[in-house]
Amino acid sequence: MSGRKESKLVAIVDDDESVRGTLHELLRSAGFSSRAFESAEAFLESGHQRATGCLITDIRMPGMSGLELQARLNAEHCRIPTIFITAHGDEEMRFQALRGGAVEFLPKPFDDELLIESVQAALER
Amino acid sequence: MNQIVRMKWATRPMTSGPLRYALAVALVAVALGLSIVLTHFHLPQTFGALALSAIAITFWYAGTAPGVLSAVLSSIVRYYLFEPGAGIESRLLFDLVFLVFAFLMTILARSRDQLELRVAERTAELTRSNENLLREIARHRQVEAELRLSEAYLAEAQRLSHTGSWAWSPPPGDIRYWSEECYRVQGFDPKGGQPPYEVFFQSIHPDDRARVAEVIDIAVREKKDFEFDYRIVHPGGEIRDARSVGHPVFSPSGEFVEYVGTIIDVTERKQAEKERERLREAQTDLAHASRMTTMGELTASLAHEVNQPITAVINGASTCVRWLSRNEPDVAEALEAASGVVRNARRAADIVNRIRSISKKEDSKKHLANVNELIREIIALLRSEAGKHSVSIRTDLDPDLPWVIADSVQMQQVMMNLILNSIDAMKGVDRTRELAIRSQRVENRQLMISVSDTGVGLPQDYIDRIFDAFFTTKAHGIGLGLRISRTIVESHGGRLWATNNSPRGASFCFTLPIPSEAPQDPEPGNRI
Repeated sequence: MSGRKESKLVAIVDDDESVRGTLHELLRSAGFSSRAFESAEAFLESGHQRATGCLITDIRMPGMSGLELQARLNAEHCRIPTIFITAHGDEEMRFQALRGGAVEFLPKPFDDELLIESVQAALER
Repeated sequence: MNQIVRMKWATRPMTSGPLRYALAVALVAVALGLSIVLTHFHLPQTFGALALSAIAITFWYAGTAPGVLSAVLSSIVRYYLFEPGAGIESRLLFDLVFLVFAFLMTILARSRDQLELRVAERTAELTRSNENLLREIARHRQVEAELRLSEAYLAEAQRLSHTGSWAWSPPPGDIRYWSEECYRVQGFDPKGGQPPYEVFFQSIHPDDRARVAEVIDIAVREKKDFEFDYRIVHPGGEIRDARSVGHPVFSPSGEFVEYVGTIIDVTERKQAEKERERLREAQTDLAHASRMTTMGELTASLAHEVNQPITAVINGASTCVRWLSRNEPDVAEALEAASGVVRNARRAADIVNRIRSISKKEDSKKHLANVNELIREIIALLRSEAGKHSVSIRTDLDPDLPWVIADSVQMQQVMMNLILNSIDAMKGVDRTRELAIRSQRVENRQLMISVSDTGVGLPQDYIDRIFDAFFTTKAHGIGLGLRISRTIVESHGGRLWATNNSPRGASFCFTLPIPSEAPQDPEPGNRI
């Protein structure tokens, strides 16, 4: 089980340094291998898309938003199971995110069990 | 002395020498002529008597030498014309008579001269003292006139300043002096004359009497200065605010004599103070209301700003629990996560405190403030709001910026207004949305803080009106933000203005004066 976890990378995209950092630590304590990016652009430029088994992204960020990132990845036929975490969650956004292939839509702050389960589920797809 | 000489000669018409001798000759000639005429009328022997008269007149008017000349001439004339046959004895006798007469006349003339001199001296003395007296009287009149003028000025000054003056000796004495203005201030009729102390005391508002009596009693007992505020009930029922100040006066030997002092009508002054206070309160209220409105509009962004560190706290705490609940708990990792929890919880608390301090309604409190720090704090609060509208914030803060004396909350209110206006101005533009905040030192010992945007800019027609109250270009604005901001900046001794940027956007700038004697870096060790 742990071998599978390590094979695929969990990518975290959030402009808030503290959220990004603690999320990375949380996943590490749960045994996942993750990488954090401060913006959608940074993630796209990193070239890790193909190795990413699960994407956790904030929606509202300076520059490209989480939904735009999702759309861009879909356009590039790089469908990564995505978990949206947002403080500005509304139904409109939730609907759009889920239609774009999101596996979960979590309002901040979120329950760690729920997140871990979602990541687990995403990686097992 | 000149005066005396002049007066002496006034009674003696013969001034020149030759004229005096001519008088002697003429008078003897007249005596001779008269005597010859009288002889024709059978009056013989008259020359002697007439000659004596001539000698006397000459002595009197022409002096000793001409007198002697007239005596000699008379003797010669008498001998050759009237008594040619007279013997030597008779001739000598007559000469002797003339000479004795001449001598007597000399003494007489001298006495007369001395008398005249003395009279002249006395007269001069009298004149002098009379002149002194006149001068003295004139001086007194002048002093009196000056005194009256000075009194008039003083009375006018008392009227203008609503300040009356009084003198009072405590019981068993009474009020000794009560200036015109005292009557007016206290509401007494001047026709009623100087009021007794009891009347003064009764004119004090009943609620103030006990306090006033106590202040005066203590001062009188200790012979010290006193000062008290009180209310006066005028005969018409009008209540006036007054202040009285008293000072004890002691004789040169140190004995207490009386109190002198003033009563001042401070009703208008107090009224003005109250008005100022009310205005200040209204301004505080308005500024607070405006802050609250702004904060209300920012609720979602502010909640997000607090939510971020709280999310981090929960993540950290969950991480900590996970490390500890493993089969082999990893304490080192758990500790690392726990310290992150502390850091993020503190950050959340800081943000909440900042929001609270901006929302608090407090009287303006100015203290030494670091403008850069205030800018950083307000940016931390507004970051989400900027992010929401895809606005990036760039700062260019002078690290050596001097500190200023300012009300931090009000300063942040100004910054918040300007930043939110700029964000508003960029909402509708498709190009880069960039907000630049700059702090720098400028000339004339001032700081300048500028907030520039790449928004729609200010319509040229409105650029002068944007600081007017209730002027707004926004659909939801009430048009007070900039007005209040300008009031706040000006109350700090600075200026707030707006300009359009080239090629696009607008800049709002404000200045703050650098205090002359401020410690420029109150935190030791900040700089090497």
